[in-house]
Amino acid sequence: MNAKLRRLLSWEGLLLAILLVVATLNTNLAPAYLSLNNQINLFQLSIEKIMVALVMTFIIINGEIDLSVASIMGLAACVVAVLFEQGVPLVAAIVVALLAGLLCGAFNGFWVAYVGLPSLAVTLAGMIGFRGIARILIEDRSIGGFPAWFTTLGQQPLLGPFPFSLLLFGSLFALAFVILHYSGVGRLVYVVGHNAAVARYSGVDVPRLKLGLFCASGLIAALAGVLLAARLGAVRGNTADGFELDIITMVLLGGVSIFGGAGTLGGVGLSILLILNLRNGMSLMNVTGNVQTGVVGMLLILSVLLPNLAHVARDRWQRRAMQRKEVQASIETSASS
Amino acid sequence: MQTTPVLEMRDISRRFGNTQALDGVSLRLYPGEVHALLGENGAGKSTLIKIMTGVHQPDSGQILLDGKPARIGSTLEAQRLGIAAIYQEPLMYPDLNVAENIFVAHAGRRWLVDWGQMYRAAEAILAQLDVHLDVRQPARGLSVAAQQTVEIAKALSLQARVLIMDEPTAALSAHEVEQLFAIVRRLRAQGVAILFISHRLEEVFAIADRITVFRDGRLISSALRTEVTVEQAIRDMAGRSVEQLFPRRHTVRDEILVQVRNLGRQGVFQGISFDVRAGEVLGFAGLVGARRTDVGLALFGIAPADHGTITIAGQSVRITNPHQAMRFGIAYVSEDRRGLGLSLPMSIAANITLPTLQRYLNSLGLLRRRDEVATAEEFRQRLAIRAPSVDVAVGTLSGGNQQKVMLSKWLNTRPRLLILDEPTRGIDVGAKAEVHQMIDQLAAEGIAIILISSDLPEVLAMSDRVLVMREGRQMGIFARHEATQERVLAAAMGQSHTVGTTTAETIGSAS
Repeated sequence: MNAKLRRLLSWEGLLLAILLVVATLNTNLAPAYLSLNNQINLFQLSIEKIMVALVMTFIIINGEIDLSVASIMGLAACVVAVLFEQGVPLVAAIVVALLAGLLCGAFNGFWVAYVGLPSLAVTLAGMIGFRGIARILIEDRSIGGFPAWFTTLGQQPLLGPFPFSLLLFGSLFALAFVILHYSGVGRLVYVVGHNAAVARYSGVDVPRLKLGLFCASGLIAALAGVLLAARLGAVRGNTADGFELDIITMVLLGGVSIFGGAGTLGGVGLSILLILNLRNGMSLMNVTGNVQTGVVGMLLILSVLLPNLAHVARDRWQRRAMQRKEVQASIETSASS
Repeated sequence: MQTTPVLEMRDISRRFGNTQALDGVSLRLYPGEVHALLGENGAGKSTLIKIMTGVHQPDSGQILLDGKPARIGSTLEAQRLGIAAIYQEPLMYPDLNVAENIFVAHAGRRWLVDWGQMYRAAEAILAQLDVHLDVRQPARGLSVAAQQTVEIAKALSLQARVLIMDEPTAALSAHEVEQLFAIVRRLRAQGVAILFISHRLEEVFAIADRITVFRDGRLISSALRTEVTVEQAIRDMAGRSVEQLFPRRHTVRDEILVQVRNLGRQGVFQGISFDVRAGEVLGFAGLVGARRTDVGLALFGIAPADHGTITIAGQSVRITNPHQAMRFGIAYVSEDRRGLGLSLPMSIAANITLPTLQRYLNSLGLLRRRDEVATAEEFRQRLAIRAPSVDVAVGTLSGGNQQKVMLSKWLNTRPRLLILDEPTRGIDVGAKAEVHQMIDQLAAEGIAIILISSDLPEVLAMSDRVLVMREGRQMGIFARHEATQERVLAAAMGQSHTVGTTTAETIGSAS
């Protein structure tokens, strides 16, 4: 644990350092950057993704992946819109959308946990299938015209200057942090993620844990989808399309191992801050969205590359030191004999 | 046989950690001779095979090929020198066809495959073995016997002159064994030197020209088949040196805790019947492939039994998952510490509380770290786990200390029946003695213990009674005073009648 902990700490330290550099550059480029409004706005623009990234952290630490989250977001948004269009009260429509998300998650979880199929395949199918259902529901239309209370749901300042969605994210982050790092469930997420057989041989109900995580993923994705619909004010078949890659990027950049068993929410929190601030800074510099995506991609590659390079360098250095020591020793023994 | 040996191993020694796996062993393989190698688990047979096939290098000694010193640096080199091995479970590429599997080692030598020629060559080799197989058929779905034939054909395609057969008959039916032997005899006639390893004495005596016995990494005897008897061979294999073992106290109580009748799992084991009393250590002895671990896993619900009955403290139970088994007071300490027993990056404390995590949660489901650490500290002192603190990762501990953490983890479930699977494998002598002392202590506290161990002296010294298994069947139960190394070994090899044992008790099956 110690070596791993140190590695993670240093990883988090690295993220923090880059974040500080980015923040300093941003401040120099645009004085408005540090204003509270800009800081809140920077969260607002990605609030739905970062919510889903929290559950994704659990899923990836548990050794699985959920590619279907963006499609569930889209499906939930479409369900709300279509039901609203049919005259269903909006609150009821939201509840149905959340249930739909839960059901999608349970569907994924069933195949992964109880049938034993790889989550990569199952949720890839879910990604295509759930998106398909969303498109069947909404066809080529764009549904909008929601009541004002809904469209301002996320963004209206609720407590001081902080809007509802940001407060919700803050609470979810705190909740996720406590669950992952201080609860029994969190402990099991790590144990199962590192070696599911050990958990099974210890009487842990591994399938139930996995099913639970995928259900949570579906539910939170649906919630994020509803918030996205509210923020955008209109829903189309491709709402939230491609978000899953941004979400997974945030988690992996946060130091969570794609093989499961390692990672912290602190790291993911820092990586979220880093990505958001980087994108914000580039926007302030009028860098286009496509270039921004490219930069984030480079960052992810570096995040995978850097620790490996460091490892290789350290090994080589140690081997050299060892050789030097051996040579030294042989010289000494030959000298003494 | 007066010719020079194809392969000669001279004075080979090899050490792993503090185990001397081979100690100055010499062996000669002659062309056209079937040489059988006998020995208990851990006698050094596998190590010798691995040295012959280039997997391991000897620490000292010489290897001669056709009388000339040779070095077998890798498996590829062994292949080139004409040494091939086939194993109990053939290593096939299931999606390639028979011909491709035969010639898989030839691939990569040319850019293009001449399919027609390959099929013809494969058919020719199989014909040489007098075997009829469709060479275009994928390997998936072939019987084990057919797969072994393919392996042998593969060896022949590489012009193998030495063929090592490691327990080739373990998964074969009697008829298939006959067919395999026909092939072996044909290879012998063609001048191939064959090293044949089997736990089935009747087969060894049916096919071998020469029989060599290993024990504790040493060569005990080597003689022509006509000069040895089955009894002699068993005597040579037994009589292992017994280290200082912990003297067991007699702690068996009257109360029968677990009663198992005619337990079985389709295709794995069958007809297992025994009682374990409180405070009793019931040893499970047997050779590799005896399926002892599978009985343990059935009792623990990992791979549940599909027939037979289990009665715990007078109550008939069905166990279908580990959680249930734990509720009935059963704990299973796995033989695979690193793969199944412990979560290596987690702390000692987290590992110890894993099966009983519910006890360490408050009403909100949060961990009560203080209680957890207190429990871990208690076990650290009780079992003398050597670690700077209970927060260090289990992966950083020595094998013996890992074993103690695993024991702590299961003792903390307060079991009534403790199943220990190879509890002293791969740990040093000191830790081993501590584990033995622990077993004695736990039995004295009234826990019933099933001790599965391949270390025969250990099972005999620690057990009140010994159940012997062979290939998924129960061969008998011996009381402590009856259980000699020779008797147990004879039973484990299916030779109980030749040594004239009596089982301590005959338990009628329930069905």
